[in-house]
This record gives sequence, structure tokens and C-alpha cells, in this order.
Amino acid sequence: MNEQLKAILEALIFISQEPLTLEKIKEALGEVPEDELQECLKSLIEGYSAVHHGIQIIQSGGGYLFTTKPEHDQWVRKLLQIEKKSKLSSAALETLSIIAYHQPITQAEISAIRGVDSTYCIKTLLQKKLIKIVGRKKAPGNPLVYRTSEKFLQYFGLNSLEDLPKEEEIAKILDEEKQSVS
Amino acid sequence: MEQELQEPVERQLAEESWSGSSDGYQVKLEIFEGPLDLLLYLIRKKKIDIHDIPIAVITRDYLEYLEKKDRINLDREAEFLLIAALLIYIKSQMLLPREQEAAESDDPRQILVDRLLEYQKVKIACNFLREKEEDQLMRWRRTFLPPIARPEEAELLEVSLFDLAETFFLLMKKREKENLRIIKGKDVSVEEKMKEMIDYLEANGSMDFLEYFSAQETLEEALVSFFCLLELVKNHLVIAIQEQLFQTIRVWLRKARSHHQHGHSHE
Repeated sequence: MNEQLKAILEALIFISQEPLTLEKIKEALGEVPEDELQECLKSLIEGYSAVHHGIQIIQSGGGYLFTTKPEHDQWVRKLLQIEKKSKLSSAALETLSIIAYHQPITQAEISAIRGVDSTYCIKTLLQKKLIKIVGRKKAPGNPLVYRTSEKFLQYFGLNSLEDLPKEEEIAKILDEEKQSVS
Repeated sequence: MEQELQEPVERQLAEESWSGSSDGYQVKLEIFEGPLDLLLYLIRKKKIDIHDIPIAVITRDYLEYLEKKDRINLDREAEFLLIAALLIYIKSQMLLPREQEAAESDDPRQILVDRLLEYQKVKIACNFLREKEEDQLMRWRRTFLPPIARPEEAELLEVSLFDLAETFFLLMKKREKENLRIIKGKDVSVEEKMKEMIDYLEANGSMDFLEYFSAQETLEEALVSFFCLLELVKNHLVIAIQEQLFQTIRVWLRKARSHHQHGHSHE
């Protein structure tokens, strides 16, 4: 294990305000063997997962980032005198899940899946920058087309859209639910 | 039956009202997000297989729920009725005699089943995202800390009309508190006020508009002075600078043009 490299990585991630991508790390470090880099990152992340650490490194939005651990939330908030952060409404979350799975998608398509008009939800999500307009669909009326944004990944602590549960995983959850009901 | 139907309505209502329960016991539950949410709820409650929905039963349950619509948000009513119409349509289709034995794919329920299956997936994805959200909201990054105020001089920005308007509303709020019952008989014209402001600028070099605005005798005069500022900015007679939103606006005369352009002879 290259202990010095590990320490440098720790410094770089610590100082980054946005998730630090692998590309940026390589830019800063220059020539470093890929496997050595990966090994150090892995060891660094594992090290912080120990109970005696209050912070840890998470992979979010395609990069590495230091955060406090969820279990220390109440103390952090007390120190900073901040109320609990507000969650998205169920309607907004529903709209967001549909966009995440069906992007690029139009407002009408979202509303059709939900069975509920989603114009207002889309507006809210745009304001929160969790989704973005990526163009217009070549269809009657040229409706706007939406996608999830980079901020969407960061907000939910996802590294990429690949982190969303796959079709099979959802099917499995549904199966389990069915069994528990019957 | 009656007892069973009572529940979804209360699920809908629990959020808003804590009254109306016969046994005095209520559980706070989420409201239905839409007609499909309600339908899925009814299906699960009855432990029905989604691929083989007894349309008659479900339609009855669903409609009975809608009958209590005085307790449903009216904005949503149309959307709930749309699905009701679909249910009734499917029911009618199933009652119609057919020329041949229908193939599986001709099942009129298929359209509903497809939508419910899709919606069910959305719900699962929602749960997943909600869990992630809850986890993330309890994690704190260094970045959330408010940026430390920079000691270096503030950058000067020429304000847009929007900034001016924003400041205007702020000023209006400040003056709202004043007692406005006193009636004053003084009329101020925009022209007069504009001249007054330019004279002031010539004499003093610059103007703290917030101060000037507050110093106006009446609300009307204050309003007129704001319109004057807009007019002067528009005509490029003055420069208005605001260091930060909601802070005061500093006003200078533009050097290239003098107030003489304003209706007077040129030097």
C-alpha cells in the first residue's frame, strides 16, 4: 500500500467542495498506476467506515466526497442550530422517479403514468434544479423534454443512474411484497 | 363493507383533520397521490391479483370511495373520475357478448393492468429514493457552511430593472407600517420630482435612494420618486448602483449627459 498516495488522496477529497471525480484526481496526480489508485481509494473509504470516525467518504454524483455520518445528524444540527431539512413531497418524488426511469420524457407522458397532472411538480423540480430541460420532442406541439440533473444524483447520494434499482430488482421487491401480503 | 370503505377515506383525511373518528383512535397515514394510488390500495387491501382484477368488485369499491368526494380534494376530482370512467368502460366491455372467444391479449382489462404495473414500479422507485434522501439529509458536507464574508470592497454592479423593482417592494414593506390615515393635499408630478432629484444629485454628487425614499413626506411622493428613478435610468440620465440585493441603491448623474437634456436648453 502506497501510504503517501493514500494521504494525498485524503487531502484532495477533503478540500473538494463538489464530489471529486477520478479524472480530476488523475489530473492533479499525474502518472499514477490505476490499480494503485483504486487500492488506495478503497482502503481510505474503508478506513473511515470504522465506528470511531464521525466522517466518511461517499461516492456521489460521480465523485468522492467527505460527509458526516447520518447518525451524528442531531449533534451537527444542534451545533449549527439548524432545523431538520425538508424532504421532497410525495408527488414531487413520484414525478422524479418517473423522470429518472423514463428520461428523456415529456410532461404529458409523466402525467399519463401518474394519472395526475404533473405540471406543478415539474415546476418545483426545475426550481430545485433536480431536473433539467434538454430540448423539445418532435411531436405535435413540440413539448419540452426533461431529464434528471447532476444535482439529482448528488441529492440522493447516487453515483450514477446505474445506482437506481434495476427492473429485476424492482420485480423482486414486488414479489416479496406479494408474498408478505398473501 | 361499510367498515372497509371507511378506511381509505380516513387515510386521505388523517393528514388534515384529527376529528371524526368514532373510537377516538387515528393513525396518521399518507394521502393518496392519485387515482392509481387509490386503486392499488384497494387491490392490495382485497389481496387481489393485479393480473386478474374482478372489475365489478373493484369498480364498486372505487365508486363508493368517490361518493365520499366531498371529503376529497376537488382539484383532483376530475382525475379520479377519469379512472372511474375507465373502470366502467372496461366493465361494459366485459359484459358485451363477443363474436368469438376472446384471446388473452384482447382482455379489456389489459390497459388498466399495464398502467397499474407501471405505477407499482414507480412506487417502488419512490421508496428507494425516499430512503436515499433520508440518509443524505442527515449527512452534512463542509460546503453548506455560509461563505465567510469577504472583507475586500464589494463589487459594484449596475442594477437591472428587476433589482430596482425588488428594492421597491422592500421599501414599500417598510412604509406599510406607517399610519396612512392622514390625508395630505399635496400633488407631486413626476416632472417636478425628477427635477428635484436631479438638483439634489447636482448638489450632493450622489444619492442614497433608500434614504431619499424614506425621507419622502407621503407615500405618494415616495412612489413618484421611485418612478422618477426608473425614468431617469431608462433615459440614461443617471446611473444606479446596488452593491447587493435588498441594499440601498446609489444614484449618480451620468457625466456624459447633463440634466439640461431634460426639457431644458443645452448649456
